[in-house]
Amino acid sequence: MEYILKNGIVYDPANEIAGEKMDVMFKDGKIVSSVSSDAKVLDVTDKIVMPAGVDPHAHVAGPKLVVGRLYRPEDSRKGVTPKTDVCRSESGFSIPSCPATGYRYSRMGYGTVTEAAMPPLEAKHTHEEITAIPNIDVTPLPLFGNNWFVLQWAKEGKVEEIAAFVSSWLKIVKGYGIKIVNPCGTEAWGWGGNVHGIDDPVPYFDVTAREVIRALAQANEMLGLPHSIHVHPNDLGHPGNYPTTVNTLDCIKDIEKSSGLRDQTIHLTHAQFHSYAGTSWRDVESGAKEVADYINNNKHVTCDIGQVTLDETTTMTADGPMEFDLHSLNGLKWANKDIELETGSGIVPFIYSGKAPVPSFQWGVGLELFMRIKDPWQVCLTTDHPNAGPFIRYPRIISWLMSAERRQEMMDNGEVRVWSYKRTGLGSFDREYDFNEIATITRAAPAKIYGYQDRGELTPGYNADIAVYDLNPNDIDPSKQPATIEHAFGNAMYTIKDGQILVKDGEIVKVVPSHTLWTNVKGFEEQEKAVMKEVMPAFTRFYTVKFENYKVHDHFTPYPTVTEVQAGK
Amino acid sequence: MKTITLTLKKKSQIALEFDELIPDEVFTWEKADFENYQVPVGNRRFPLTDYFDIEVEGTAESPEEVKMVLDGDCGRVKYIGCKMGAGEIIVNGDADLHCGAEMKGGKITVNGDAESYAGREMEGGELEIMGNTREFCGCSYIGDWRGMSGGKIILHGNAGKQLGECLSGGEIYVKGDCDILAGIHMNKGFIQIDGDVTRWPGGQMKNGNILIKGKLGILLEGFVYDSVVVDPEIDGKTFSGKYIKYIGDIAVNGKGGLYLNAEKNREFL
Repeated sequence: MEYILKNGIVYDPANEIAGEKMDVMFKDGKIVSSVSSDAKVLDVTDKIVMPAGVDPHAHVAGPKLVVGRLYRPEDSRKGVTPKTDVCRSESGFSIPSCPATGYRYSRMGYGTVTEAAMPPLEAKHTHEEITAIPNIDVTPLPLFGNNWFVLQWAKEGKVEEIAAFVSSWLKIVKGYGIKIVNPCGTEAWGWGGNVHGIDDPVPYFDVTAREVIRALAQANEMLGLPHSIHVHPNDLGHPGNYPTTVNTLDCIKDIEKSSGLRDQTIHLTHAQFHSYAGTSWRDVESGAKEVADYINNNKHVTCDIGQVTLDETTTMTADGPMEFDLHSLNGLKWANKDIELETGSGIVPFIYSGKAPVPSFQWGVGLELFMRIKDPWQVCLTTDHPNAGPFIRYPRIISWLMSAERRQEMMDNGEVRVWSYKRTGLGSFDREYDFNEIATITRAAPAKIYGYQDRGELTPGYNADIAVYDLNPNDIDPSKQPATIEHAFGNAMYTIKDGQILVKDGEIVKVVPSHTLWTNVKGFEEQEKAVMKEVMPAFTRFYTVKFENYKVHDHFTPYPTVTEVQAGK
Repeated sequence: MKTITLTLKKKSQIALEFDELIPDEVFTWEKADFENYQVPVGNRRFPLTDYFDIEVEGTAESPEEVKMVLDGDCGRVKYIGCKMGAGEIIVNGDADLHCGAEMKGGKITVNGDAESYAGREMEGGELEIMGNTREFCGCSYIGDWRGMSGGKIILHGNAGKQLGECLSGGEIYVKGDCDILAGIHMNKGFIQIDGDVTRWPGGQMKNGNILIKGKLGILLEGFVYDSVVVDPEIDGKTFSGKYIKYIGDIAVNGKGGLYLNAEKNREFL
């Protein structure tokens, strides 16, 4: 089937197209440069056309989500909709049901999302849940930062073993890249503690976060994975944590990049939670300047923000000790889990109220980072869904980024407290993102950061993942019309995925199964064999599951999209 | 003034849901509107006239001027008066789950028993139940830590378990007996129980007051004896008699007050 999207105003940053009136054509699920006269015409005259959105960091599938839904029925009752001819019924606000997750991303014009924390042991479950999420492709990142084997080898400086381990584990659990969460900290939580800073050794293994991050970064580049290491540094959410963040980014500066698909060797996730100065919540100040300055001066770093959206939400992370701190702070119910040999996790509900000083401050820090980071290719829009707010608020954040007036209004009329500008540098910025920068931070940059070769741009041969928004960029002043911007980005005129129209005028018209993206490394088979020999005795001894039951078999990924990588190339 | 009388003619085995039939919604409705209305039953809807005879008298300019009378055994009618903000509902019979849940104003009278979750998350108004009720009267939504925050529940019969769970405002009066864990997790508000209580009132309460005029079975260990008070004054109201006062629940550093009738609970002294 051939289609032509006629007369749209196209923003395709990867191809340096910034608001040109042109046609976009696609055939059999792929973008093409020409179509026959039989092509079906979709008139999108003067509407914004972008590649479909790519979310580089969210928590949408896995055991955390299920525990979250189980223990927060009061969240599930929000956002309940009856079923329609096309959709199943939806439920949930911060932790929507699986179908609702797919529908809601689709309505915003998104096509791909990263599930940012898949415990290898729970990979089967994660993949099962991905098959229940329609309309959006999911890229799961397995957790390696607190894995016993990795900790041991990092201590001994055995990078090749780690590379072989990662390479074989990506196959075993069908993962895309390396996620590191509070390296050594979550393992220390198994001993009732945490680590502070990147040079604080974990009990027993006696290895530091610096050693683990460096070893995994070296292994990542040894394999030449499409994505860099994806790091949630230590000390999340602690006042005075920005030096830890900067040290984390700096400690791998000398490691050479091997993949040509991306520019970075480290991706800093939810930077907002890692950019605080001060010593306690009484004297907390923004450390956004220091973090942003480092990012501006170092091209080996990219980040996403984790913008606070001022909602009641559910925090969930593999950073177990941090969740306990949070529970001690707000007194709300807490779930905690240990994933044997691998990681842990915690869940706590949280109310980011604009009437409270701390959430206002966090809101300010996130936006300050957006303002300060100069190159939009180094920053992505996220809320670390659902940690700083649900993903359905992306359109609202876009409206904040595009309107200095709206931000000022929020600070003036008390929607956020004075800490939002007195404790941050936000008040001094009047930068406003344009549509091209928005297209960069929501699709082009994340796609590049992940080394995607089939999405994130409107290049012929790429997947026909396209979003059309009901906005005429020549007509609208985003600075003055934030509500219009929010509505348009939240209700795509068209969302097209693999050439199929899934959303029309903000309504789901078609439901398709989602793909799972994972990386298959080749050329490392010998090392993998050797490392499996080394791993198996410990595996058999310590894991409560048999290896035969651990592996994610092919039927868990009925629609795989495999990135083949030649090790070291 | 508008009087809407719904007389039950057929009892459904699957519960009907009445949260759309509140004065706030129906004050403009004529008889024909009710006859055209489809009531949710399970996962489908059926004509209201299948289950009720409908009579409408008078007119109303606002929900305050509406009086709804449900005649018959509404033991399979859920969500009666749920989220209502004004007006009056009288149930001449039993009521099913969630009667008066999330109500913000107005008055509901149940001249029979009410099932569990009566007055869940009430914010205002008055719910009077002439019979008994079961579990979670005046509680929070499942999972939530924010319960009933205002209004008044008067219960003439007995209450079930976890009465006023997570109570954070408002008053609950029970004329009969009460089962375990009244006022669990409460942090504000007032519960008065005239009858006997089986055990454990005020588990993990942070604040607020519970007054028990009857006999208590077992007291939780988290309550510390404070004093014997005569005619105590609670929230500006005086209660005649001699009461043993406890502070708790110290398990959660609570500062709540638990008053036990001294005459009937001598063994606690």
